[in-house]
Amino acid sequence: MNNVSYADQKIGSREMVIIIANAVIGVGILTFPRSIADETDAFDGWISVLIAGAAACLIGWLLGRLASRFPNHTFFEYVALIAGRPFAYLLTLLFGVYSTLLASFEIRAVGNIAKQYLFTTTPVEMITLAFLLIVQYAAAGSRIALLRLNLLFLPIVLLVIFMVQVYTLRFLEWENVRPFFSSDWMSLLKGAKGVGLSLSGSEIVLFYTVLMRRPQDAPKSVIAGLAIPILLYMTIYMLVIGVFSPAVAKNLTYPTIELAKGVEVPGGFIERVESLFFTIWIMTIFNTCTIWFDLALSTLRSMFTRLSKFAWILILSPIVYLIAMTPQNLIQFFAFGDRLSYFGAVIAYVIPVLLLAIAKLRGVKDSG
Amino acid sequence: MFRKYMRPTKTMASQLKRRPQQTPALSTPLFARLEENLSAIKQTLGNPQDLIVRPFTIDNASQACAVVCIDGLVDSDLINDKVVKHIQLMLPASGKTLPPPGEEMLTFLLNEVLSTIEVKRETTFEAMYDRVLAGDTALFVDGAAQTILIDSRGWETRSIDEPVSEGLVRGPREGFTENIRDNTMLVRRRVRDCQLRFDTMTVGRRSKTDLIIAYMQDIAHPAIVQEVKRRLATIDVDEVEESGFIEQWIEDDFLSPFPQCQVTERPDKVASALFQGRVAILLDGSPMGLIVPVTLSVMLHSPEDFYERWIVGTLARMLRYIAAFLAVFSPALYVALVTYHPGLIPSDLAFSIAATREGVPFPAFVEALLMVATMELLQEAGLRLPKPIGQTVGIVGGLVIGESAVSAGLVSPVMVIVVALTAIASFAIPAYNLALTFRMIRFGVMFAAAVFGLYGVVLTFIAIFIHLANLTSLGVPYLTPFAPQLLHDWKDLVLRAPVTFMRKRPETAQPTDDTRMKTGDAP
Repeated sequence: MNNVSYADQKIGSREMVIIIANAVIGVGILTFPRSIADETDAFDGWISVLIAGAAACLIGWLLGRLASRFPNHTFFEYVALIAGRPFAYLLTLLFGVYSTLLASFEIRAVGNIAKQYLFTTTPVEMITLAFLLIVQYAAAGSRIALLRLNLLFLPIVLLVIFMVQVYTLRFLEWENVRPFFSSDWMSLLKGAKGVGLSLSGSEIVLFYTVLMRRPQDAPKSVIAGLAIPILLYMTIYMLVIGVFSPAVAKNLTYPTIELAKGVEVPGGFIERVESLFFTIWIMTIFNTCTIWFDLALSTLRSMFTRLSKFAWILILSPIVYLIAMTPQNLIQFFAFGDRLSYFGAVIAYVIPVLLLAIAKLRGVKDSG
Repeated sequence: MFRKYMRPTKTMASQLKRRPQQTPALSTPLFARLEENLSAIKQTLGNPQDLIVRPFTIDNASQACAVVCIDGLVDSDLINDKVVKHIQLMLPASGKTLPPPGEEMLTFLLNEVLSTIEVKRETTFEAMYDRVLAGDTALFVDGAAQTILIDSRGWETRSIDEPVSEGLVRGPREGFTENIRDNTMLVRRRVRDCQLRFDTMTVGRRSKTDLIIAYMQDIAHPAIVQEVKRRLATIDVDEVEESGFIEQWIEDDFLSPFPQCQVTERPDKVASALFQGRVAILLDGSPMGLIVPVTLSVMLHSPEDFYERWIVGTLARMLRYIAAFLAVFSPALYVALVTYHPGLIPSDLAFSIAATREGVPFPAFVEALLMVATMELLQEAGLRLPKPIGQTVGIVGGLVIGESAVSAGLVSPVMVIVVALTAIASFAIPAYNLALTFRMIRFGVMFAAAVFGLYGVVLTFIAIFIHLANLTSLGVPYLTPFAPQLLHDWKDLVLRAPVTFMRKRPETAQPTDDTRMKTGDAP
C-alpha cells in the first residue's frame, strides 16, 4: 500500500521548515518581550533579538550538519557511532527527560494561560488534562501525521499574529521607543540570553532528519525554519515596546497576548480579541507539545524497544501530567521553564556541537 | 490498539471461505438428451412462472430443440425474430442441406443460422445458469451435450434522468441509472480514448452482481489500480445490493466518521476523476458510482466550479470551505460564547441575546441540543415522506416549530438563527456523505463547547484534524494537498485558477502521465 510514492513516511524540506518554525513558536513568544525589557532600556532589545537569532541560526545550522551527516541513522545510532554506546544511552536518556519536561512545560503553560484568559473558575488540572488527552491522541497516530499537523496549523497561527500586528500598528507611540542605543553591551547580551532560551526548538532537527526525503537539506531547513520565528520575535518586540513602553512591558505576564487586546474587529463583531487570539494560539502550542511528546516517546523507544508505542504513551502521560502540575504558582512555573532551558542548552546545543566536532576530527561518517 | 479490527476484509473473507461450496450438481456437464436437460433446469429453478421453455423441432421433426429463457429479462422480440423465426421459417426455405442431428447440428446452427452478435457455447449447467439468469437465452439441441447462449438481455430500465442528489445549474443533465451498460456508455461517451479500461468482475456469491473498475491505463498510478483490485477481490458475501456495500468493504478505516470514497451519480464527475488518474467503481443495479482515492478537498468541490468562470468558481469554493466550518462549529460556538465567554460578544449584542434568553429555562447547551436534534428529525422525516408531504414537513418544522418554540419561550430567537445557518451551511456541502459526517461531528463539538467553552471547541478542532491527518483513502493521505503539501495542486483547491493555468494534472492521485496540455497550446 505504501507504493504510492508520497504515501511514503517522509517529509520534504519545505515541510521541515514549517515544522522547525512551529517547534520554536510556542509559549516563549508570548512572554519574551518581558524578559528583554527586564534587561535592556527603551527600544534596544531588537539588538538582543538579532544577536540571539544569529546565535540560534548558527547552532541550528551546526545541528543540521550533524544530523545530515548521518542521514540513515537515528539519533541514538549516530551518537553511538561517534562517542560509543554508553554515552549514547546517557545522552538519549537525557534527551528523553528533556523532551518529557518540555512537554510538561507546554501543557502547563496552556493550563495557566487558558485559566487567565478563558475561564477563571475551571481548575487548571482539568484544563491541562483535556489538553494532554488531545496530545496523547496525536501521539498515538502515525509520526508523519503528527508532523503534517504542523503544516495545517502554522498558516492559521501566522495569519492571526499578522493581523494582530497590523491592527496594533496604530497604537504605536514614538515616546515609548526613544532613546535609541542607551543600553550597554552586557545588558544587551543578557537580553539576548533571554530571547535565545525561548528560541530553542531547532534541536528537533537531530531527530527528524532521518525522516526527510533529502536529509542533506536539513541545515538549510533549520535556518529557514528559524527565520520565521526570528522575524516574528522582532516585529512583536517592536510593537510591544512601541505600544506599551518598556516600563509596562516589564510588568505584563504575557505581553504578546496583551497586544491582541488592542485589536478591534471592524464592525465590532467580536470583542476581547485576546481570548480568541489565545484560543487560536493553542494550536501552535499543541504542535510544539506533540513534537516534544513524540520525541520523548521515540527517544525512549529507541533504547527500550520491548514496549509498544501505546504502552509508552500510557507510561509517559501520567509522568508528564504530574510534572506539569508540580509548580504551585507562576513564579515557580517560570523558574521551572528557565532551568529547563539551561538544561536544554547543555544537552541539545553544547554536547551535539561537540559531537559534530569529534565526528569531523575522527572522520566518522554514515557508512550506509 | 484497534489495528486488528481495522481490517475486516481478511478475517471475514477467510471465515466465509470455510463454508461449504454450493451444491455440486451445478458444475456437472450438460446432458446429451434434451428432456433430461429441460427437466433438470425446471427442477433446479423450481419451475417458476417466468421460466420460458419453448421446445420445437426442425428438419421434419427429426431434430428436437428448445429455447430456455427467463421472461422479463429477455428481449422477446429479439428471440422471436433472430432465433426462432430463423430456425423454423428461414432455415427450411433456404434449401441448405442439414447436417445429422446432435452436435454437428448445433455447430451448424451456431455458425450459419443464428444472426445475433453475441453467442457463446457452454457445456456446464453452472455456466448456463449464470448466463440465463442474467438474461441470456439458451438454445438446446437434442443429442448435443452443449448449449448455445444467445445474448438477449432486454429488460425494462429507467431512462437516463437528471441526477437527483447532485443538481447543477450549469452542466450536463445526465445521471447514472441502475443499468451498468447505460453507465459505461455515459462514461465512454465522455472519454473516447483507447486507454480507458473497464475491468469487469463479479461480486456477490449469489447475487453475482457485475462490477466495473474504470481507469485510464496510462494515467492512473498502477499501484492504486492494483490496490483497488486487491481489495475488491476480497469481497466474498452472498449479495451486494448497492455500491455503498462496496464502499464499506474497501475503505481504509471503518471507525472513521469520514467517507473514504467519493460517491457520485454524475458521469462528468467520473470522467474528470478518470483524467486525474483516479479509479471509478461502477456496480450494476446502483446509480451511484464510487471514486477512489478521495481527499477532503475533493469532496468540497463541485463540477460547477469548473463550468463557471474561474472567479465565480473561486468564490464558490471559498464559500463552501466556510460553509464546512459553519456546518460543524456554529452551534458549538454559540454555546461556548453564550455560556462561557459573553465578554467576547459585543456588549450591545450580548445584552440583547441575554434579553431574548430571559425566559428560556434551559442552559444554552440544552437549548442548542434541542434545536439541532429537531433539525435532524425534520431532515430525516422530510427524506422518508413522499415529495408532496415532504414539503409540508418543511413548513410545519421550519415555520411552525421554529416560530412557536420561540414564542413559547423554549428557545431564543438567536438559537433559531444559528440552527438555520448550520442547516443551510450543511446543505451547501456538495457531497451528501460528507454533509452527514459533519452533522454527526457537530454534536461532539457542541458537547465539548458545553464543557470547555472556546477551549473545548479548539481542542475538538485539533482532534478532528489529528484524525484527518492520520486518515488515508487507498493509501493517499486524506488531507492531500494541504498536508502533505503539494503546492502545485493548490491551483485547484480553495482557489480555482483559470483553466489555461492548469497545465499539469493534480498530483494527488499520482498520475503516471501528468501533462494535461502541451506547453504552448494554451492561448
